[in-house]
Amino acid sequence: MADPFSGDSARKKSDFVAEVVNHTLHDLVIRCTKTEEVRNYYHVSVIGYGRNVGSCFSGPLSARSMVPIAEVADFPLQVKSSYKRVSDGAGGWVEIPVRYPVWIHPTADGKTPMCEALGKVKMVLEQWLLEHPRGFPPTILHLTDGESSDGDPSELGQQIMSLGTDDGAVLLFNCHISSRRSAKIEYPTGEGSLPDGFARTLFDISSKLPGNFLAAAAQLGVSAIDGSRGFVFNGDPSSIVQFYEIGTSLTGMTPYRWMDDRTELA
Amino acid sequence: MSSAKQSATWNLQLRQLLLPKLGQEASECEDVIAVDTQNCRFAIADGATEAFDARNWAERLAQHWVQNESTLTLEDFREWVAAEGRELQESWNGLTLSWYAEEKARAGSFAAFVGVELDLRADSPSWQAIALGDACLLHCRRGTLLKSLPLSRSESFNSAPVLVASDSSLHDVSMQSLVIDSAGFQSEDVLLLMSDAAASWCLQCLEHGSFDVDTFLGTNETDELNKFFDDERLAGRIRNDDLAIVRIEIQRRIN
Repeated sequence: MADPFSGDSARKKSDFVAEVVNHTLHDLVIRCTKTEEVRNYYHVSVIGYGRNVGSCFSGPLSARSMVPIAEVADFPLQVKSSYKRVSDGAGGWVEIPVRYPVWIHPTADGKTPMCEALGKVKMVLEQWLLEHPRGFPPTILHLTDGESSDGDPSELGQQIMSLGTDDGAVLLFNCHISSRRSAKIEYPTGEGSLPDGFARTLFDISSKLPGNFLAAAAQLGVSAIDGSRGFVFNGDPSSIVQFYEIGTSLTGMTPYRWMDDRTELA
Repeated sequence: MSSAKQSATWNLQLRQLLLPKLGQEASECEDVIAVDTQNCRFAIADGATEAFDARNWAERLAQHWVQNESTLTLEDFREWVAAEGRELQESWNGLTLSWYAEEKARAGSFAAFVGVELDLRADSPSWQAIALGDACLLHCRRGTLLKSLPLSRSESFNSAPVLVASDSSLHDVSMQSLVIDSAGFQSEDVLLLMSDAAASWCLQCLEHGSFDVDTFLGTNETDELNKFFDDERLAGRIRNDDLAIVRIEIQRRIN
């Protein structure tokens, strides 16, 4: 994650991923905000792995493995102030003050203990499912830039996918990002196009995209069809953004296109 | 009942229903009904749940419509909506808001709106209506749907309708979806104003021939009506949303 994306030497992958995760949390909060109240339509866990495996939240949320979205809203690590350039409606631009929250900072060190991380995910899920047996099934958005350094994650992946609520099975989506100039593979229906065993391993522990997620993909112009897995291999920056947009688009919710409406932060 | 738009010839029968989502309090309802029988103006506005101060915005739109005599033109609608939007957004100045409420407020508020005005002065009465979003007006005659606006089919309802924005900089685009219409009235015709969940359900029933407009809201028993709509929502036949319905029937007076 300390490497840059191919063709973008100025920016580490970890910086970009942290930005996308912060925007995703911001988006979830805004979707749940009704005037001045944030409704707990989501519970969120952000788990990172490298030198350590554990929650990426810090500050008041640091000891929490799963956090209701209203508390996420109220306890960002910091709220930065800046200016945003927006259309003035008459062909010009105006700068307006904005505040944007930050929950996680980029970290890139250590190996890729994917099995330990998935084990942690499974433990968090099992506790949450005990407490919410009728909830919307949890969605896991797993992002990695390399092969597992602590063994084959297949069994743990299958165990996670076998969990569920009365409303359906847990959804596990995987996005592999690469620094190499390799062709990206997005939301495949079969293993035929996959280049190696690692890609096939991740494919096998990726859930099929349910209809609502397919609709979200279609709205974003992403090619996914009935039978497509929630799986990206050799993804680039736009793949990551779309992966999070699709993965957080639940019933009837329009995917949030923050890259489109963000304009410039001065 | 003797304003300029009423007459001794026609009698108005009015029934209305307003229910919050199942499991929510009446104070949380973001649908608003406004009625002025003197002006013969009626409106429903449905504040968008995700928007900032949505109930107040819906209230402003509906009340403005019934209390004023604005003409039914796009230009006039834009003008008074922009003025109401400015006042609403100015009322937020000075509030100390969290980062997320501040962002919501910056986006403004949104609501669906349908307003209708009846003219009962002539021997051939008529209605004129204006609508934006998915709150609807249905005109029925002897059990048959004559007209429905702005949406006319149950499958046309979706989660992202174009709504009335409090921020007038959005009006150039959104007002392109404004629908203005009118029609003549006959004795015993029924007009139904409905917010989206009720309108979608009603149109679906009409499409399947399973809706009796003559008996619809035929009882004044509030508990009975509430139970009917609660049961429909529990059964999933009506989406669990706020419900606002106004039923207007005109009848020739028998002298």
